[in-house]
Amino acid sequence: MGELLEFLRALLNDPFDFVDLPARQAITDAVNWVVANFRDFFRTYVSPPVRGVMNGVHGALSAIPPGMFLLGVFALGWWAASWRVGLFSLISLGLVGFMGVWDPLIITLSLVVTAVFFCVLFGLPLGILCSRSDRFNAILRPVLDIMQTTPPFVYLVPAVMLFSIGNVPGLIATIVFAMPPMIRLTNLGIRQVQSEFIEAAVAFGSTHRQILWKIQFPLALPTIMAGLNQTIMLSLSMVVIAAIIGAGGLGLEVYAGLERLNIGQAFVGGIGIVLLAMVLDRITQGLGEKAPGARHKSE
Amino acid sequence: MIRAEGVSKIFGPQPASIMALLEQGKSKSEIQQETGHVVGVNNASFDIAPGEVFVIMGLSGSGKSTLIRCVNRIIEPTGGRILFKDPEAGELDVTTLDYEQLRMLRKQHMSMVFQHFALFPHRTVLSNATYGLEIQRRPDSERKRIGQEVLDMVGLGEWGQAYPSELSGGMQQRVGLARALATQARVLLMDEPFSALDPLIKVNMQQELKRIQQELQRTILFITHDLDEAMRIGDRIAIMEDGEIIQIGSPEEILVNPRTEYVARFVEHADPTGVITAGTIALPFTSSLVQRVGNRYGLQYFARRGYPRLRYGQDSTGRLKHVMTNERELPVQPLEQVIEARAADHLPERRDDLILTCPETTVLRQVLRGRLHSALPIVVTDRDGRIRGLVDDPELISGILEKRGHFQQDTVTTSDCAP
Ligand SMILES: Nc1ncnc2c1ncn2[C@@H]1O[C@H](COP(=O)(O)OP(=O)(O)OP(=O)(O)O)[C@@H](O)[C@H]1O
Ligand SMILES: [Mg+2]
Repeated sequence: MGELLEFLRALLNDPFDFVDLPARQAITDAVNWVVANFRDFFRTYVSPPVRGVMNGVHGALSAIPPGMFLLGVFALGWWAASWRVGLFSLISLGLVGFMGVWDPLIITLSLVVTAVFFCVLFGLPLGILCSRSDRFNAILRPVLDIMQTTPPFVYLVPAVMLFSIGNVPGLIATIVFAMPPMIRLTNLGIRQVQSEFIEAAVAFGSTHRQILWKIQFPLALPTIMAGLNQTIMLSLSMVVIAAIIGAGGLGLEVYAGLERLNIGQAFVGGIGIVLLAMVLDRITQGLGEKAPGARHKSE
Repeated sequence: MIRAEGVSKIFGPQPASIMALLEQGKSKSEIQQETGHVVGVNNASFDIAPGEVFVIMGLSGSGKSTLIRCVNRIIEPTGGRILFKDPEAGELDVTTLDYEQLRMLRKQHMSMVFQHFALFPHRTVLSNATYGLEIQRRPDSERKRIGQEVLDMVGLGEWGQAYPSELSGGMQQRVGLARALATQARVLLMDEPFSALDPLIKVNMQQELKRIQQELQRTILFITHDLDEAMRIGDRIAIMEDGEIIQIGSPEEILVNPRTEYVARFVEHADPTGVITAGTIALPFTSSLVQRVGNRYGLQYFARRGYPRLRYGQDSTGRLKHVMTNERELPVQPLEQVIEARAADHLPERRDDLILTCPETTVLRQVLRGRLHSALPIVVTDRDGRIRGLVDDPELISGILEKRGHFQQDTVTTSDCAP
């Protein structure tokens, strides 16, 4: 009797003394195992396409003379939203250039575009799949939760171990981190399409595919664009963090500035990031409102 | 063309188990209280002939929309069968079709107008109207042409490039109608297609629909709340209550012979003058009010009531030969001719020496018009021109006020008009 009480007291005082979960060791082992067995696979099959797209995008963007680029941004902003947004974008990016960090800006933009490209490439089909299968959705949802809530720094270590340092591991970490909203909001947008429209499409003999592309997808487009907007914003934030593992661009300016205690350099990089974020945000929001499916929401 | 056999639809988690309760005769509200299931449609059967306009009427919540959706299986019926017969498609049991066959049926042979329009908000009016054609993979030019045609037909020819949100409710409804007409499906399922239209356009659209149906031989299943609309366009009407069809009949049958109190209340305020026919209210020659005497020229009749001197002579086939009064023969003219000849702007002279004749299918409105021209009983003939009976004021009045035919109520007229 006395022994039992003693045991209970000890249990209440320090329950953690009784069980020791070797989580650290297990995860380390697991990552090591993946690295040992799949590193070559990742380096031969995953790195090249990511690097290829990145190089292509960067090559194209840096080939445009900055003045032309700014005019293009102005036109894009005007077309997507309004002349105000166009002007705002022109001034913001111009400012970044005048502060002398145009080249890092282009690198960061290329990283974002590349990451978003892959996020859409995989996120959109996964989102569509989620919307069509409750089971798939139930399986994927906790995975997305983990991807989204794990602190971004945590991705960096396995990324480095698998892909070494540079832009590619940064991009991989960014893609993993920024993809969930794309999947989630694609799923949500499609599920939210009112059943009366689906019914009407069915009544005229549409196939599942026709219903998806003619009705559900266009009507979900505003929501999907909101997902794209979030994905872009997350990519941008992650691309900056990825400077720690050797990704270039504005993030590197910040990181290098901090390391050398060059406050000015760090802040210029920071301001560049903020301005780029605002420009991308305004333009993608404008695109979302332009989507034909946004029509009934304006009523 | 379309036959429903005992179609039922129960909403709820375990619909099949409720079917047994229905068979035990439990009512919709009992089932709802005891099990939480909603009986949408209960054992509905009907048979729609090719080219017919079949109207379903009933109060809100009586299951009309559910039933029409069962016909193309947008809602899966819990029990019963839907049969579809068409010279092109053959005979199909819609309830057993697989996904692909069902899709073909909907694409080619049945189209639908929705109660709440269900227009695609991201498509222009024109591309809404041509949605069905797009699914049929018709070429672009053909789609444009047909789309413009149907939009013109519903009076929205100018609005092709607008979006549904820019249109009024009535206009949206007409786009829904255009979308259904465009596919040229033989069967149109129409769920309150005219409910949001103003009265003038509504009558136009009803006429247009009748024209389309007769010219292009469409078969139409039509839901409405509006009794006069049902009477105007329906060849037959089914009345629904609590998911059940409680009466099916021609407008006149339903008006004159409501099967239950519910149906009677439903049709109480209908305008009978466009529905009830002379044949229904005519005082038959076999009535006690008409005296029949044989002679060698055929049969002779004396109408006793009020006109003791009128004597109707028939030939051997039963057609009217002459009408005599005091050995003078009265002129006989078809009612239709007299009405057509009438000058529009003043009341005709009402003669008491003219006999009018009309076929038994003439509606009361026409008979009343004829009544302006002649004070004498109107002779009603059947399809072959044989005399069916007479229509006089008492028949007209009781037909209009009480929606009753003579065959039901002899006594009223007798006591009113005893000589
Ligand atoms: N999806 C559904 N789930 C549960 N119950 C339903 C569903 N659809 C219809 N019902 C029920 O079925 C019954 C019939 O509905 P239905 O829409 O067919 O009526 P209706 O005759 O078309 O009415 P209205 O004239 O108002 O359009 C109602 O009691 C309704 O509550
Ligand atoms: Mg309804």
